[in-house]
Amino acid sequence: MAGWALKVEGLGKIYGPTGAVLGDEPEAVAGTGPAFGRTVSPATGAVVGAWDVGFEVAPGEALGIIGESGSGKSSVLRCIAGDLPATAGRAWLRSFRGGEVDVMAVDAATRRSLRVDQLSVVYQDPGEGLELGISAGGNVAERLTAAGWRHFGDIRTRAAELLSRTEVPLERMDDLVRTFSGGMRQRVQLAKALANRPPVVLLDEPTTGLDASVAAGVLDLVRDLLDELGLAAVVVSHDFAVIEMLTQRVIVMHHGRVVEEGLTDQLLEDPQHPYSQRLVAAARG
Amino acid sequence: MADRTVLEVRDLRVSFELHAIERYVEALRGVSLTVAAGEHVALAGTSGAGKSSLLKSIYRTYLPDSGEVWLHRDDGTSVELRGLPDRELLDVRAAEIGYVSQFLRPEPRRSALEVVSRAGVRRGLAADEATDAAAQALREVHLAEELWHTYPTLLSGGEKQRVNLAAGTIAPPRLLLLDEPISSLDPANREAVLDRIARLTEVGVAVLAVFHDGDAMRRLADRVVLLDHGVVADTGPPEMVLAETAGVSP
Repeated sequence: MAGWALKVEGLGKIYGPTGAVLGDEPEAVAGTGPAFGRTVSPATGAVVGAWDVGFEVAPGEALGIIGESGSGKSSVLRCIAGDLPATAGRAWLRSFRGGEVDVMAVDAATRRSLRVDQLSVVYQDPGEGLELGISAGGNVAERLTAAGWRHFGDIRTRAAELLSRTEVPLERMDDLVRTFSGGMRQRVQLAKALANRPPVVLLDEPTTGLDASVAAGVLDLVRDLLDELGLAAVVVSHDFAVIEMLTQRVIVMHHGRVVEEGLTDQLLEDPQHPYSQRLVAAARG
Repeated sequence: MADRTVLEVRDLRVSFELHAIERYVEALRGVSLTVAAGEHVALAGTSGAGKSSLLKSIYRTYLPDSGEVWLHRDDGTSVELRGLPDRELLDVRAAEIGYVSQFLRPEPRRSALEVVSRAGVRRGLAADEATDAAAQALREVHLAEELWHTYPTLLSGGEKQRVNLAAGTIAPPRLLLLDEPISSLDPANREAVLDRIARLTEVGVAVLAVFHDGDAMRRLADRVVLLDHGVVADTGPPEMVLAETAGVSP
């Protein structure tokens, strides 16, 4: 079996008081999850956004995370990205110290540095991944200078390469991102995310909010890039067409827990868990 | 008939537990069969007999409840697919099993020729070999050359189906599962596609197929396995099995 590029174990995120740790889990966890139909802890009132989530993603592989709003998909992604502190869990990147150091446990500066060239995030809202008040070229250049690029001409050439790869017209390279359409902003965000060829990319609803034809274009582009660059990707989406097109394997989340995992075609055609069946039936109408 | 077994299905059972409506449906109730290298086995039976379910359970788009699905290789090694971890199954699928359905999964922004040649690359061909093999495959299924550079999303149902079959049969894997691959073809194109499928068995591919019509089975199959309510009801040469079911099965 191919090795993993990203491995996650026992990831948990609790919003609010966790309570005392009883056995191997905080007090807040008991009484939450699919079996109880709730994410709000009866003991502490905290919201258990995600608990005991684990998976591996190989180079060249895309793993989907599906589930309804509030099921914990984005919490998982944001904890791995380092946007939110995780309550529990460990994660490893093969590209970081040979995959032997838990990235959840490193200091904040090291954690931030991972986002330069090891782990990129593409957000649903391009405003989170981009500076809207600077140019498209400037946004990409920022990521390159963070990685140590110094020569202006080289930076500009590389930024132009990336933007043309993500189908942003070069004559707009010096325009402020604020003046771009939603689909175009998403293409700039992709160029920025891929600037330093990170081996792992996390995509959080990358096409949600774009109109259908623009979304299809962005989606094609993402698929081409994943194929071409052999990235390991985690794709969060509530849109099964996105999941079907981009991913080979899927995990299903419900009330903060993983309730099922499997091959994408199997999960969409023969879901086993009652919640997965409801989710697929609802999406397929 | 060759005697090197490629696919060996043992007592395969699959059921669907539909939680929302509290229904339990048994689709396969203990199916066993084998397909040898170079052998074409056709599945017959009325609709609902379990033909497509069997193909999907072998490919593991459906998760079987019990039983074994063995893929035997030329080098003497074998792999059991039902219990294989997901990622290993993906590797086996990519290299050794083709599943061709009725429908082309749309790949927007890729020409027909690219769709087929990329399938060849996924099966291990070098890029230039894949382009040649793709051209050859499209010629064999009679797709007009002026359509090769068109996006398949713009093609007719029958044209899409031929692109799909060309992609599914390029650099043919050891085992090919065909699920009604000729359902929307006119007679002339149907002949071309049947010829291509016949050539696969000549080069040693093991084929397990579901066809809508008896003529295709009579022409291609070495053996017909008749399914009835999820079990094997009969197996034998096409003329025998199909004669017995005349007026019942397709």
